[in-house]
Amino acid sequence: MDDLARSLLQRLIRRIPRQVLKTTLSKWARLSLQQEESLDFTQPKFVLMEHLLALCAENGLGVKHITELEMIYVIDNPNQRKWNAYQLLEPRDDALSVEMIHFKEQFKVHLVALIRHVSIKIKKHTDEAVWIRLAWGDSLSRPNHLKPSYVVHHLQTPYVFVTNVTSKRMTLLNQALVLATRYSSIKDANLSGRKLTAIRDLLMKQYQQVFPSKHLQPLGEKNQIISNPQVEYEQNEQSESRLQMACEVFGGGALPELQTAIYKLETKLKDNPNKSMTGREQPFRCVVKFASTNILESLRHGAMTGIASTPVTPLLSSITQKGRNHFVITDKGPSSQ
Amino acid sequence: MSLSTCRCSEALWMRMDPPPTSQPFSTSAVRTPLLAQRRSRSSRQSYRSYVGTASHLGYTPGFTKRRLTTSRLAPRGRTADEVSPAQLALLAREWQLSYVTPLYRFRHGQLKTYARQLAAFVQSEKQQQGGGPVEAGAGMESTLKVSFTLVAGMAQTEADADTVFIQPHKALWSGWLACVGGDPDYMRSLPEDFVCLPLFCRGGAAWLSPLVEAWFCRTFDCCFGPLEINAVSLQWLAALWTNCRAQAGVQPLKLVWSLPVEPPLEVTYAVHPQDAWELWRSVRRPLRERVDEEEDEDEDGSVGIEEVEGFIKGLQSHFYRHFRLELSAGQLTQVSTALGSAKHGGRLKISNGSYMVTTLTLLTECALLKMPV
Repeated sequence: MDDLARSLLQRLIRRIPRQVLKTTLSKWARLSLQQEESLDFTQPKFVLMEHLLALCAENGLGVKHITELEMIYVIDNPNQRKWNAYQLLEPRDDALSVEMIHFKEQFKVHLVALIRHVSIKIKKHTDEAVWIRLAWGDSLSRPNHLKPSYVVHHLQTPYVFVTNVTSKRMTLLNQALVLATRYSSIKDANLSGRKLTAIRDLLMKQYQQVFPSKHLQPLGEKNQIISNPQVEYEQNEQSESRLQMACEVFGGGALPELQTAIYKLETKLKDNPNKSMTGREQPFRCVVKFASTNILESLRHGAMTGIASTPVTPLLSSITQKGRNHFVITDKGPSSQ
Repeated sequence: MSLSTCRCSEALWMRMDPPPTSQPFSTSAVRTPLLAQRRSRSSRQSYRSYVGTASHLGYTPGFTKRRLTTSRLAPRGRTADEVSPAQLALLAREWQLSYVTPLYRFRHGQLKTYARQLAAFVQSEKQQQGGGPVEAGAGMESTLKVSFTLVAGMAQTEADADTVFIQPHKALWSGWLACVGGDPDYMRSLPEDFVCLPLFCRGGAAWLSPLVEAWFCRTFDCCFGPLEINAVSLQWLAALWTNCRAQAGVQPLKLVWSLPVEPPLEVTYAVHPQDAWELWRSVRRPLRERVDEEEDEDEDGSVGIEEVEGFIKGLQSHFYRHFRLELSAGQLTQVSTALGSAKHGGRLKISNGSYMVTTLTLLTECALLKMPV
């Protein structure tokens, strides 16, 4: 095994927790059943690592195989990186019929034409998602496998999720994606987060949607707010309507685990008792960041309990309606980039 | 043992003297058991009842509000910039705050003795505990040396005791005791042998803190307790730190609220320093008949609580206009600007010498209020 393969494997083993390592190795299927069984996962990691290195050397495995292992791990555990979402725009006539083989071919051809030294690995995951691993090089050095980028594209949708790509390389990557998917352009969807599943579900609206209905029906999974029964009787109608509005905006049931939302405000200060500030021409610049283990649930709960006034302001409802969590708000309305 | 009584303006105070503290250092780890009992026998009024009850619950109206500090002095422009080398050690580190009850027979002239005693105490405690944690490269087997230094220039009134800085050599820990701008009436009411240094700031390796505190408790018959910085104090700091325009730089005024939803939502509100300054100035202006329009002159004089309230309300209403979320339903947990940062749990960082005294005056008051004695 060459040095690069060794160091790649070492880094990988260090990062993968033990419980996950066993399943990942068996999925990889590069070790014989006997070899897999010989691995003792109760030993300390450095012992395990030496053993594994020996087995891989025995089987003559190289960088190509180790990157395969890494890809399997990342596909199964996508919620550890910072993902950015992009949206493809203006599909051409044949965009929706692009299939895996066609996409794979075209993407490779176009990307290599733009950047000669790049190592590409494409894999199709079970849920119609195409996973691409990219290791970037340049005319002076080989592709750097220690800092790979990952791209996920769901065929027949205009969405692409990317992690760990510099802005310079992003323009080239975008071009290749646009050409391979038969769209005209691509834009930043202003949605980012650590949990790929969360941002994907949010963007593709894969959570329980609640629609306005004339008859207010109590929803199945609403949180029980325990309170004085007499107060509750009085406030029943209001709290039900708050609940309905909260769920219409944010969804019912379990919500995608979005963890942050950032608003850059550049609006003027209004309704200020001090005339000197009200007459001010320049905007009041501030940045507001919401953070929680699940901000959609926090905001929904806030709307239900009245901490957030209902109807929910468009600034907050845009998170779910538009599927984004980065906003720049000016007096002329939210600016879309 | 001798019985001594002394009369102070508020009540009769009776106390049993402990044996003098200069006795040979004993290796026993058992603390003097009479501490707690002595405290309860005192009929002396605490600072809290002296000022008014429920003082740290916020904007309590009426009687208590009159007694609480409703205005604080903010230093004038440039002259507040000079910081002595000793004071530099207090800057740019995050400290955990505690309050300390008055120290019995603490002498600023005996710092070297205290340093030796503390070093010996820590050494023996570590040996008793079986060598303590393994400190890479710290060489704990050799004698631990501690230094107590005076940090001059912090005392604001005659009653203030000088700040003392404690630093063990080669150990990643330091701490300091301070009293800045303490209420002179309260200081006068203390019996003669007591030195009041109510603010204790510590930072570094966690294992040393309980040992230092234990040594202080047994040597000076005091006790320590956690000091939280409540929302009102955090708002004061936000306003006071914004008041210092010269040092604002490019760091925003950052306020963090925690909203009581499920799961808890943290809202970080960061305001451009120039805009924060202008909002602050606009809040101050109508409340004071200012003749001069010069911007530099605004950095002086005293700051009133109504101005602080107005400033925070202005920020909250701008937020409400956009998000229709009531920030006041939550709790303010953190404030930070270019001058420093303060967290509700009692963590403080002072980044700049300019407003150090004002900040510490506020925190000394918090410590005095929190003390049970």
